Order: sequence, then structure tokens, then C-alpha cells
Amino acid sequence: MSSKRFDPSRPFLTLGVVTILWLLIPIAVKGFTRATFFELTAPLTVAASYARDLQEYWALRMHSNSDLIAAGRDLARLNASYELAVQQNSTLHAEIGRLEDLLGLPSFAEYRYEHARVVRRELSGWWQRLVIRKGRNYGLTAGAPVIFTGGVVGRVTEVHATTAVVELLSSPELRLVGVVEGDSRPISFQGGINPTFGPPVALVEFVPLDVIANRNLTKRLVTSGLGVFPPGLTLGVITRLELGADALFQSGEVRLDERLSSLTEVTVLVPLHGD
Amino acid sequence: MATFTTHPERSGSLLESHRGSDPRIVFFYFILTGMLLTLTIGLGYQQLSKVGEYNSAERQQNQRRVVVPGPRGNIYDRNNKLLVGNTHRFSVVLHLDELKGEIEKQRRQIRRNFLAASGKEDMPRGSQLEQISRVTLVQSYLDQLNSILRRHEQVDARALRRHFERELLLPYTLLEGLDDNETARLLERLPVNSPLQVYAAPTRWYPYGSAAAHTLGYVRPDEALDAEGFPGADLTTFKMRGTTGRDGLEKWFDSHLQGVAGGRIFRVDPTGYKINPPLDQRAPKRGNPLVTSLDIDLQTAAEESLGDQKGAAVALDVATGEVLVLASKPDYDLNQFSPRATRQIVEQMNEKGAWNNLALNGFYPPGSTFKILTAIAGLRHGVINPDTAIVDCTGTIRRYNRDFVCYNGRTIHGDIHLSHAIAESCDIYFYEAGWRTTPDLMAAEARRFHLDRRQGIELPNELGRMVIPDPEWKEKARNEKWFPGDTANMAIGQGFVLVTPLEMACFTASVARGEVFTQPTLVHDPNRPRQQTESIGLTPTQRAALIQGMEDCTITGTAGILTSVPGLRIPGVRIAGKTGTAQIPGNKNAAWFICFAPVEKPEIAIAVMIEGEVAGEEFGGGRHSAPVAQAILKRYFEKKNNTPKSLMPAVGPR
Repeated sequence: MSSKRFDPSRPFLTLGVVTILWLLIPIAVKGFTRATFFELTAPLTVAASYARDLQEYWALRMHSNSDLIAAGRDLARLNASYELAVQQNSTLHAEIGRLEDLLGLPSFAEYRYEHARVVRRELSGWWQRLVIRKGRNYGLTAGAPVIFTGGVVGRVTEVHATTAVVELLSSPELRLVGVVEGDSRPISFQGGINPTFGPPVALVEFVPLDVIANRNLTKRLVTSGLGVFPPGLTLGVITRLELGADALFQSGEVRLDERLSSLTEVTVLVPLHGD
Repeated sequence: MATFTTHPERSGSLLESHRGSDPRIVFFYFILTGMLLTLTIGLGYQQLSKVGEYNSAERQQNQRRVVVPGPRGNIYDRNNKLLVGNTHRFSVVLHLDELKGEIEKQRRQIRRNFLAASGKEDMPRGSQLEQISRVTLVQSYLDQLNSILRRHEQVDARALRRHFERELLLPYTLLEGLDDNETARLLERLPVNSPLQVYAAPTRWYPYGSAAAHTLGYVRPDEALDAEGFPGADLTTFKMRGTTGRDGLEKWFDSHLQGVAGGRIFRVDPTGYKINPPLDQRAPKRGNPLVTSLDIDLQTAAEESLGDQKGAAVALDVATGEVLVLASKPDYDLNQFSPRATRQIVEQMNEKGAWNNLALNGFYPPGSTFKILTAIAGLRHGVINPDTAIVDCTGTIRRYNRDFVCYNGRTIHGDIHLSHAIAESCDIYFYEAGWRTTPDLMAAEARRFHLDRRQGIELPNELGRMVIPDPEWKEKARNEKWFPGDTANMAIGQGFVLVTPLEMACFTASVARGEVFTQPTLVHDPNRPRQQTESIGLTPTQRAALIQGMEDCTITGTAGILTSVPGLRIPGVRIAGKTGTAQIPGNKNAAWFICFAPVEKPEIAIAVMIEGEVAGEEFGGGRHSAPVAQAILKRYFEKKNNTPKSLMPAVGPR
């Protein structure tokens, strides 16, 4: 009887042994384990996102005919305007191509656009990232810029077989270079500490002293084009600036697009020529 | 129940007791008490009396102070245009104090490699192994930068070792002077928590480049950073490099412009690596601003007009003595000194002699501009009279058994009066005036105008090599007798007389005010009162004749170019001036022009001196220096009449 008694120290012993083993096994094994775990769970995550899509589909099916007719009319108007924009874009692309040929310039196109569905959002004080439903299977690469209609979403940090992780603009781990719209001096942009349900904010540093911005007079911050992002994409609006500790620059706060926390679709800019 | 058997010789109690006393044990009691007392007193002494000392030692051993310089104050012109500001210089630094674990890992790896390759025999010593691992690790970080910036930089092992030994808590600069593009690439690609970080160091910025270079001066990096008021002066301190003014206003007003240093105090582990967060910190503060009296529009007008010629121009506010222009050519671009001038730049400056501020330390004979002083001396001592022609100028005059020539004899001046003599710069008139006045009285008059001493402007290195000669000076300095020819030379500003452009500008401002001295200043004060010194001592008639002569000089006389050439004319402004052309060693001329305007109510006084470098060329004050003064006057009156035409837009601090 006594040999089958529960020994209270046994769980601690087991934990200790596992911890020691974990510390001793090589980094490669740990990395492989982590990656394998991600890949194993990925189908579940993707399946869940498909299930959500199905839910949304059936929810839409429940709408009345009148609602659908009204939505169809709105969509037709939107399509018409997009149609026009697409035609204009085609004309401009053709013109750019003609000028490139004429001047012997390399191709202006630097990215391929890959639209991807968001399958999971991890928004906490620790992580600010998305998992998207495309990965190596669509040729995504780590470091690729991710955008949406409101501007920059973030950057791809991990690429898996069928999914990829996007570090959001609001993440303190992400740093970019921006410029104030109409200016050319680089400003360091970094995600802030963002609570789970709060409006997303970021921080700026190296802001020249002659830039004035406050809650009443905000300044739009856009990508500089000096780094991996193409120029002119919105990062956010500067709402507060104060003199930095070195008295050479200002530092301050940037309000980000609130849609960042509810995105369902994003576009990855896959570099055509690598880097 | 347990029972105790009682020994017949014992009390039965568990405690043993002794009856009576053994005298030998008392002796040990005393020894024991003495020892305990010694220990107690020692403990008390160490714990109570020396606690402060130990605390301090512990603090010094475990804490380090890092001092960061405050940015220097800006320098503005009188209209608040930025002349000197601060800008940034991006660099990439590596925080070595965060690499302790990585260095240790690297050291183990290198040790393993050595063992695998050649056994223990060739194993480096511990310190060598440490240095190899440091260099290898830092090079690996530098390679990250090389890969991003497509460079091929190598670690300077000696500098790295020095940094580890002396400045471990300060970031180690791997690359500096990055442009915006490189900075942007690094900001985006370096991990946020990497020990590699982009750092912006303050550096001086001169938006007008070489304008007023000698006046503004420059700074040089300096290790002796003063952290006054920041606690922890007794701690081991690491100071980031600050700057100190080395010339011009930057040097003279160094303590005023110097920022207040800030910094942090860290706790460190026994090997010197810091333990976050800091125990104390203070943000650096910018130094005080300095508003100078210079007017950058006039300054640039003067410098553009001087062009590539060697010379100087000084303009003063007649009423207050505030310096509006202090230009010296050749000059240099102050931005080349930021953060430090290269050897090539220094050699170029040496070659063209750009270090010397000619406005302040260019000692030249004043030529005919000195005739104004000769005239004042003669009038005050009654030896000449405005209405009397003291001599008949026929081109030469014979005195003391030799002929003295009128070098300005384009025409024969004939019976010439004072005003006409000034306007035409007749040498013979002033020879005669000098002989009549005597050299001693002329020298005394020059001293009365402070021409024999430094002017006391707020600039370093103002030399005192000016010479106002008299017979006593010649005897003493050259051991020679004074001759009448010396008097004649002195009367026309030749011979031994040596003055600076700044002195002549002060002299001109004093004559314009009807006084004997103008204290020049480079600090602007909008409420500065009008200067008032001793009166010049002329009657209104005498003064009128003097001024008339100077005005005629700019209309019909030797500076007639100012009114005869349409492009140089300033409508509605009456100018009183005097030209001068003096021979200087090297078969060259010093072309002078002094003036003030407007005649009826003088506001601005100017002195211009240009060295004539071209041998054989007719080089004179009227032709070469007067146009420079005219450029300053033209800009001055344009601004006064509200027709702003700034050469550069107003620049705010960056």
C-alpha cells in the first residue's frame, strides 16, 4: 500500500528534471520544437478562420432581399469608382513603362501585392501581432511590409508554411522611419506600450525642433521611403511633442488608426528583387 | 517518568554550581572582560565613527557616474537671425556594458577553438583571450552594420581596449557621420533591443557658412566637462565629450554659452558592468543664447563685396558703438570645424593665411585717412585755419633741403584750404600742417583717440602691436633720431604709424559723434544708451570745415566714384568719407576708406582696408575700398527704408 501512496514531492521533481532537460538540449532542438508546434497548430487556426468566414457567410444569407439590394447598389457605386481608379492606374503604369523604356531606367515596380486574410489577432501588453493566412506557399518573406487602406499595418516577422506572423505598428518591437508629410527629415517611429482594449499609440523620436504638433494641430506621419516601406504610406498622426532630453530633438506620441485592432484583410508587399 | 540519580557530591540540580572562588579564574575574568571591551569599543568605533567613511567607500566602489554635456546656447544677430546653432550628427554606438554575457560566451568558444586546433601549448593568456573575444564580438556587431550599409569597416582594436579599460559605461562609437539615408536604414533594421543603437550627438551648425567666421569663432571637442551641481562628484565619473570655444565669440562667451551637463548614476557589478535602472539622473540643459550686435545682412554684403581680396571691413553704430560688421578675408567655412577640422583643412587655411582676423589684428599704416587726425590736431592747436591756405601746392614742396612730393597731385592744388585739401587728399597741405603741429602733438592727439591701444572688444587675442610714433618712441624703439621727413610721413599716415581697421572704425565713429573715443561692443542691447566721451574740442566752424571736406571727398574728391558711378550712388544719403593708400612691405598697397553717414545725423561709421596684391597695379582706397563701404551703406539704408532683401531666409534653430 505504502509504495502506491502519492508522493507530494514528485511533481516538483518532474518539473525540475524537465527544466534541466530543457536547459541542456541544444537551441536547434528547441527552435525546431517551437516551429513544429506552430506548424501543427496552424491548420487548426486556419480551419477556425475558415469556420468564421462560413459563419459570416450564413449571417449574410439571413439578410432580407431589400438589404441585399441596397448593399448591391452601394457596391455597384463603389465598384464604378474603383473601376475608374483601376483604369487611371493602368494608364499611369503604361506611361511609366513607356518612360522607363525611353530613358533606359530599371523597372519602377518593386513589390508584388499579396492579399491575405487575418486568421488571428494577438493584442496584449506583450504582443501586438496578427497571423495571416498566407506563408511560404505564396512566397512571403520575413521583413516584407504589410499595408491596408488606412496605411501601414506592420511588418512580416515570421513566415511559416501556410501562415505568417505580422508585427503590428503598435508593437514596441517594431521600429520604422517616417517623415512628417511635406518634410524630408527622418523621424524614428516605434510602437508604444498598448493596453489590450485601448486606442493604439506609438512613439516618435528625433523630431526636428521646428515641427509643431499637438492635439489641436496634428501632423500626419508617413513612411519615408528610406527603409523597406515605399514612401507616403500613413503611419499615424502626431498628437503630442515635447523637447527631448538632449535638447536637440523632440519626442512625442502618435495616434494610430483604430482599425488596426479589427483588421480582417491586409496586403503584403513582397519585394520583387529581394534586398 | 525519567528519574535522575543524584551524585553524592553534586547538588542534584541540572545546573552545576560552584561554591567559593578560585583566584586563578578571576585573572581570566579580567582578561576576558578586557578582550570583550576591546571588541565592543572597536565595533563601536568601526560602526559608529567610521560608518560614513565605509558608506562612501562602498558607494565609490559600486557606483559610477556618466556625465552628458548640455547643448551650447545659440548665437543670433541683432535681428534674431540664427548665426550659430546646434545640429545633430548621427552615429551608431555599441553599449559595451551590455555585452558581458556575450563576451564570456565568445571567450569560451575561442578557447575551445584554440584547444581543438593546437592544444594548450599555444593558448593565449587570459587577458589576451579576453581582448580577442572582445574584438571578435564587436567586429561581429560591426559586420551587421557593414551588411546593412554595404561598408567594409574594421574594429580599431587599440581604441576598443582603451574604451573597455577607461570608459566602459560610455557607448562605444562604431560609425559616425551617418547621412539621413543610412540612419533610416539602420533605424529600421537594427532590432529595437539590440546593444547597437543609433545616437544623435550635438554639433555646432553655422547656417551662414563662412560669414563672420573670425568673429563667431569655433569650438573643439573637450574632455574637461564641468558637471557642477550634479551629485556624485566623488564617484568614478565617465564623461561624454563636450565642446569648448576656441576662438571668437565662442571662446569669449564660453561660460555663457556652455550648456548645463546632465547625466546618470548607475550601480555596477564587481567587473564594472552596469545594473539598471539608474539610481539618479538629470537631463542636460541648453546654454544661454547670445544676441550679438552683428547685422548678418550687412556682414554678408561686406564679405561679398570684399570677395577674394585680402582685407577687412568694420561698421559701427555711431551712437552706441555696437559692431554691425566685422569682416576679415580670407576666411574659412565654420562648418568645416564641426565636429573637428581635418588636417587638410588646417593646411589650406595656413596656406592662405585665413587664421588672422585682419579687422582686429591687421596692423597697417592708415595712409591718408590719418589726415583727418592731422587736421584735428592742427585745428585744435591753432596752427591751421579752415579759411586760410597754409601752402601753395605745386606738386612738390622744398623743405629741410629736400623735395617733398604730393602723391595725390593729379592736378596742381595751388593755394588750398582745409576742406579742399581733405577732399583732394593734398599731401603737401598735410606735410605743412604736420610740421606746424609737431610730431609730439600729433601723437598726443592720436592717443587722445585711443589709437595707441587695444579697443577692448569682446574677442580673444586682440593684439597691441599698434604704433603711434613720436621722437621718443623712435629713439627707444629704433635708436634713431627723428627727422622732419618722419613728421611728414606721420602727417599723411605713412612711416611708422600702424593701426587696425577696427581702430579706424572707432576713430571714424568718434569723429562722427564729435567725441574722442568709441567703445566697440559685439553684444546687442536694444536699450543701450548713446555713448558719451570727451568732446573732440573743435569749434562748430572747424568741425563744419572738416566734415565738409569729408563729404566733398565722396562727391568731387578721391572717393567721387561713390556719386559719379550711377550704380554706386545711394539716393538721398549724404556720406562723409576719406580715402587712403599706404605703401606696405612687399611692394604692396593698403587701400583704405573710412566714412560715416548720413552727414547731418550720423548713424553708421565704416572702415575698410584691402591689401593690393597685384604688383604695379594702381591700387587705391577710392577705387577698391570705397565700393565695399558703399555696399554696406546701400544695404543699411535699404533695410532702414523697409525694403528687406535678406540674402538668406531667417533660419530657426534646428
